[in-house]
Amino acid sequence: MTDPAALLLALRHADGTFPSGGFAFSQGLEARAALADDFGPFDLAAFLADQVLRRWAGADRVALVRAHRAAADLDRVATVDAEVEASTASEPLRAGSRRNGLAFLTAHRRLGTPGAEAYHRRIREGMAPGHVAVVQGLLWARLGLDETTASAMGGHVAVIGPATAAIRLGLVGAIEAQTAIATVTADLAAVCRRPIADGQPFSAFLPVVEIACARHATGDLRLFSN
Amino acid sequence: MDVAISPSKTVPTRLGAARVGIGGPVGSGKTALVERLIPALAERGVSLAVVTNDLVTAEDAERIRRSGLIDPARVVAVEAGACPHTVIREDPTLNIAAADDLEAAFPDLDLILIESGGDNLASTFSLDLVDWWMFVIDVAGGDDIPRKKGPGVIRCDLLVVNKIDLAPHVGVDLERMTREADAVRSGRPIALTVCRDGDGIDAVIDHICRDVLLR
Ligand SMILES: Nc1nc2c(ncn2[C@@H]2O[C@H](COP(=O)(O)OP(=O)(O)OP(=O)(O)O)[C@@H](O)[C@H]2O)c(=O)[nH]1
Ligand SMILES: [Mg+2]
Repeated sequence: MTDPAALLLALRHADGTFPSGGFAFSQGLEARAALADDFGPFDLAAFLADQVLRRWAGADRVALVRAHRAAADLDRVATVDAEVEASTASEPLRAGSRRNGLAFLTAHRRLGTPGAEAYHRRIREGMAPGHVAVVQGLLWARLGLDETTASAMGGHVAVIGPATAAIRLGLVGAIEAQTAIATVTADLAAVCRRPIADGQPFSAFLPVVEIACARHATGDLRLFSN
Repeated sequence: MDVAISPSKTVPTRLGAARVGIGGPVGSGKTALVERLIPALAERGVSLAVVTNDLVTAEDAERIRRSGLIDPARVVAVEAGACPHTVIREDPTLNIAAADDLEAAFPDLDLILIESGGDNLASTFSLDLVDWWMFVIDVAGGDDIPRKKGPGVIRCDLLVVNKIDLAPHVGVDLERMTREADAVRSGRPIALTVCRDGDGIDAVIDHICRDVLLR
């Protein structure tokens, strides 16, 4: 990446200060940390590695890239979106992804990003669920960010979100969190280099986190939405 | 990479229901104010919905839904991810989306009240989210609150000094508190209320009707 304009565009859109709603979701981290007695002590680096390798690599990233490729045709984007809906077994993660997607889209509608208004209309009409990875792929493509860049941005956001949640929950210090993020960066980069076939199905396997999420969703004491 | 960094020329003006924020420290009486505003606004024919931002789960939303004052479908809870100020200022998108959804579900809406989770004196609403906002402080928190010049106290459109019934019990000089609040707010409006029994609510409603609903 040498073009500073492209780099700056990517940085802005993947930045933690971009209003996306992502801060309200821990992606199962709060739930997993609360189950230390049953499943052993919480370890941020291990949690992030699981997120990247067992969920993001095979599911969210594939959805993002397929939506990115389909960005010119909202019918095709909606098909990818429907597949995400059907393949995400965990209700709290599925609902969270939809709410996060809608919030992200809300910022882009106000900003006038091409495609945002039209895709929002589909969600409103019940024609698309609006999962965040799909909306990221669609809008980042429409903003002119290439597939590899968009994929890396999605991975970055997927790691930063739970890491920030861990800091806010007091599980790790802000500097310590950077160490954990650094340990998964190589994994993230390797995953981003893996080719994705057109129509590649989604796969994710994180049973402990999904069980924890299911318990968290019915608990009356939680700070994060999932 | 083919990149256009040109910002979009215009951020479209939003049509639809007015959005009013209610911020303030923990326990100052924000939900109590909402509970007073709902019937009083209904009496003036204002079609209303409420968004709450609870710190933990949906306690305030449930309380308002159960009050019987409003159709429970018109009350939505937005979880604030341990960060009450983020969800009303740095990243208000979840609240904006919730308000947009309410507007789509109830096209007759005139007004959406958005109650912030309890925060500190520095909390302020983004004008991306609301058109106008109130900050509720509690007399029992001390008559020096206005003097501390918190951004919430200074910048809100209406400062609501609540629980004035408690002033004599906590040794607060209400007159001095009001005078100092006036001074730090350069004379912008202040309302004195007892949200528990409805004292002073009419003045708050008058501000909302005049300054926000333009009626
Ligand atoms: N004496 C008195 N008590 C009040 C008044 N208004 C509210 N309260 C009480 O203050 C307490 C807190 O009120 P809430 O309305 O829950 O305060 P809140 O600002 O919504 O609190 P959070 O949402 O938790 O930040 C309750 O016990 C109320 O009954 C008032 O005018 N006078
Ligand atoms: Mg409250």
